[in-house]
Amino acid sequence: MAIRGIDYANLSLKDALDLAILIEDEAQERYEEFATQMDQHRTPEAAKFFRYMVENEAKHGRELSARRVARFGDAPSAVSRTMIYDIEAPDYDAARAFMSARKAMEAALASEVKAHGFFVAALPAIKDAEVRALFEELREEEILHQTLVKAELAKLSPDSQLSDEDFVDEPAPQ
Amino acid sequence: MSATGTCEYQPKDYKSDLKPIWCPGCGDFSVVQGIYRALAAIGRPPHEIAFVSGIGCSSRIPGYTTAYGFNSVHGRALPIAQGIKLANPDLLVLAAGGDGDGFSIGGGHIAHLIRRNMDITYIVMDNQIYGLTKGQLSPTSQKGRTTCTSRYGSLEEPVNPLLYVLAYGAGFVAQASPTDLVGMAAVIEEAIRYPGFAFVNIQSPCVTYGEEEHQIKGLKAISESLAGLGHNPADRLAAMDLAQHYGHKMHLGVFYRNPEPPPTYGDLVKERQTLLSKDALPKERILDLFIKK
Repeated sequence: MAIRGIDYANLSLKDALDLAILIEDEAQERYEEFATQMDQHRTPEAAKFFRYMVENEAKHGRELSARRVARFGDAPSAVSRTMIYDIEAPDYDAARAFMSARKAMEAALASEVKAHGFFVAALPAIKDAEVRALFEELREEEILHQTLVKAELAKLSPDSQLSDEDFVDEPAPQ
Repeated sequence: MSATGTCEYQPKDYKSDLKPIWCPGCGDFSVVQGIYRALAAIGRPPHEIAFVSGIGCSSRIPGYTTAYGFNSVHGRALPIAQGIKLANPDLLVLAAGGDGDGFSIGGGHIAHLIRRNMDITYIVMDNQIYGLTKGQLSPTSQKGRTTCTSRYGSLEEPVNPLLYVLAYGAGFVAQASPTDLVGMAAVIEEAIRYPGFAFVNIQSPCVTYGEEEHQIKGLKAISESLAGLGHNPADRLAAMDLAQHYGHKMHLGVFYRNPEPPPTYGDLVKERQTLLSKDALPKERILDLFIKK
């Protein structure tokens, strides 16, 4: 997780909303990439879960975008995608070939915990009351996301606790 | 690099429709993101960029960009990149590959691009293994490493890519890692902007054949920022001193940037062409040069 060039103390509500949208966009794209990777490695259960996360992130992104447009229209943004990395998106090394649905959910859960940590860490530096309220809302949203992932984990059968290594051969040198 | 554009580009403008087929978890996923960001910061349109690679997992990378790409021959990315740059000096030319491609089969080419100071940025994704061919010893594998081609452990010292290029006189030498994508993108951008040969070694772990300590978590544990150490990138000897820690510590950032970059090979060729052009024969009389008078 990394962030660069964002001054929380002077962050406007417009830019805070844009930042939140960028964070959701990044997570959505990463889950899309992971779903594609799982398709390529014939792991449909993990791919299906990652697509579920794509929908969740997209939905939240759309809600934030609607709020941004309603309040600020198409006023130019002062934040860009190059300022953030891996805030809510799972780390690239969280994916593995042949990962089970359980492992996929655990990776997503870790990402939601990471995102929650981001908002918790940023809050003390924020001075604007509206921005603070937004970040508090987003912090709570990440807890809700964790609950959603935990609910998916609870639906899994006990068999899914098998490790990938239990049924995947070691890579074979040639 | 010689010129930067004025149009604003976003990282996604450099992302092609081709889906990467690297193993999930591969460090190269982050590297390609770093390249997208660096290219967006440079702002040259994709059609003004040529991206050449050799053979290997990492050499697939040009295909994942919207630049002109050439996934060429094993170890031959640099000579091809050089030819492209000479033929069309206005192109921004990038070369990429793995440690085997760059320092084994293609090892002989780097020295010549450095001594010519070709205005090319060379990005090596160093994973200390031949991944595409399923886990053989590579030139940067640690001594003692057990692989399918070193059953009882490697007897060879690894090549040190950083010292190698510094010793040949590269004007820009840096190291990056997927553990810090923002830093990696900044280093690649700086390498592209350097007017001359620029080398970026990226410690990009192989999740399938790489060792545990070379995965992201292991790399994080041995990472140190060169800027944080107070290193002066204009000091070549200090850079060489730090580069000796390759394989034990992972210093991230710019090791060396020549504060007074010499002319590039392209500059010298242009100068020579200008000098000789006044006496040049018209095309239809060019064969006269070979006729004894």
